[in-house]
Amino acid sequence: MSDTVSMKKRGQFKETWRRFTKNKGAVIGLGFIALLAVCALIPSVIAPYGFDDQLLSRRFQSPSGAHLFGTDEYGRDIFSRVVYGCRISLTLGLVSVTISCALGIVLGCVAGYYGKVADNVIMRVIDVMLSIPNILLAVSIVAALGTSFFNLMLAIGIGAVPGYARVVRAAILSVKEQEYIEAARSNGASDLRIIVSHIVPNCMAPIIVQATMSIASAVLSAAGMSFIGLGIMPPTPEWGSMLSSGRAYIRDYWYVVTFPGLAIMLTVFSINLLGDGLRDALDPRLKS
Amino acid sequence: MSDTILEIKDLVVHYVTDRTTVRAVNGISISLERGESLGLVGETGAGKTTTALSIMQLIPDPPGRIVSGEIRYEGEDLVAMSPARKREIRGNQVSMIFQDPMTALNPVLTVGDQIAEVVRLHQKISRAKATVKAQEMLELVGIPGERYPEYPHQFSGGMKQRVVIAMALACDPKLLIADEPTTALDVTIQDQVLDLIEKLMTGSGTSLILITHDLGVVAEICQKAAIMYAGEIVEYGTLPHIYQNTQHPYTVGLFGSVPNLNEDVDRLRPIKGLMPDPTEVPAGCVFAPRCPEASAECSAAPAPVVEVEPGHFVKCHKRRGGGSK
Repeated sequence: MSDTVSMKKRGQFKETWRRFTKNKGAVIGLGFIALLAVCALIPSVIAPYGFDDQLLSRRFQSPSGAHLFGTDEYGRDIFSRVVYGCRISLTLGLVSVTISCALGIVLGCVAGYYGKVADNVIMRVIDVMLSIPNILLAVSIVAALGTSFFNLMLAIGIGAVPGYARVVRAAILSVKEQEYIEAARSNGASDLRIIVSHIVPNCMAPIIVQATMSIASAVLSAAGMSFIGLGIMPPTPEWGSMLSSGRAYIRDYWYVVTFPGLAIMLTVFSINLLGDGLRDALDPRLKS
Repeated sequence: MSDTILEIKDLVVHYVTDRTTVRAVNGISISLERGESLGLVGETGAGKTTTALSIMQLIPDPPGRIVSGEIRYEGEDLVAMSPARKREIRGNQVSMIFQDPMTALNPVLTVGDQIAEVVRLHQKISRAKATVKAQEMLELVGIPGERYPEYPHQFSGGMKQRVVIAMALACDPKLLIADEPTTALDVTIQDQVLDLIEKLMTGSGTSLILITHDLGVVAEICQKAAIMYAGEIVEYGTLPHIYQNTQHPYTVGLFGSVPNLNEDVDRLRPIKGLMPDPTEVPAGCVFAPRCPEASAECSAAPAPVVEVEPGHFVKCHKRRGGGSK
């Protein structure tokens, strides 16, 4: 019995996986993200130097065999710092998305399912939040709570809540009119149960896509925050702050900003590719 | 009338929107005894489904509203009941089979889990026991228990309807409401599903309200029939009353529009005209505008309910002096 269960579940997963792998871009994106994940998990194995090994005698060395991406103004190996930076960027992306996802799903569910007053109140607050530029909101939150890694994640997470709430609300509005929801109610299921076990699972596809996409924007905002000095504090290697400190030397030493910048760009790009691939693989309208 | 399980008295349900009020159900009364099965027959828009939903207390509000009347389930008024008590009754004592099995199952849950969920909602048993119970239910409706972990899209329409039936019967309800259970299925599967419902009903002591627009289906399964027209029950009685001693002109018209194998006719005789707009129900008898027997008094005052023979009620001016043969 349990054998058949796991087999069928794998069957569903396999089907989605098959559709996903048809999309070359998505697979490349996934591959690059896997590489980043490895860097984030075991940076000390991959990086040839520590992220804060300073040696002024070797400052501003051009990319070479010894220093793949060159060295910065304190003689730190840029490749090693980029590798260590993965950990910060990925953690930040995942945690802030978890925060915004959780808040957004709860708000979207309440607004979409109960409608009327609850819907109006929640969605108007969301509208107000949408009218505040994300970076400004994040700056104010960090300024109010103080600069720390967690506050940065919270600030970025809160900024992304409106997106989720809207996506979830829209998905719920379409699902809650389905006959199986009425059938569940006719079987005596409570509101909470209907939301948790019948409605939300049916809204997962847009939520997963939204989550993937917003990891990318979270990574970007974090880099932006660090760039203006409200994010991760040096010497912790964060791509945005590496850009910020390398900015002064951009005319003479191109590699100081180029490689962290490339890391940000490629990360965001591959997460977007992955998100697109997931959307296509999960979209029921494309199911054959 | 000792063992009445469901009694509806003068039920009025309106759908109120900004501009109009749709009078979906206008004062119907039904009583149903334990183990009895009632066929609710009528055309689209006659208020059949609204009646069923009011028994389940699932009228979408807004815009729907039960304006007056009571629905007594084993003596308890469902309309005035607390939401928690309603949930206890739904699915456990009163359950419903929906019209379209294609949409009545949740596409992301396995069929087995959906049946088990109903069991676990109402009985305090372990997950494992609920799984076993769900498999038994699947077997009961003729689906191998090994198909428990499959998803609705892996089943055919007829099998999905069986799953829906299994779900509805999982807690041995005392009252089952089947809302056009066979409309979405093709004819051969219709027959199988009806046989299944009939088989499961026999001897279980469960009462059944079967909603349909097919007089043949009612003849096959039910003991009583109520003919609905524009939110009213125009004729109500046992099967012999309705089928052999048809009284109301509308019911006569319904039979006239069914093809008959034994009679050689060139054309069917449909009822002329359309059902009245439920936002503007006629002042007199609701059927008067289409009735071949209508006279001035019909459109002047609402038709009275006449008991033409014991247990056989007709809502018609013309039958006041007793039934016509």
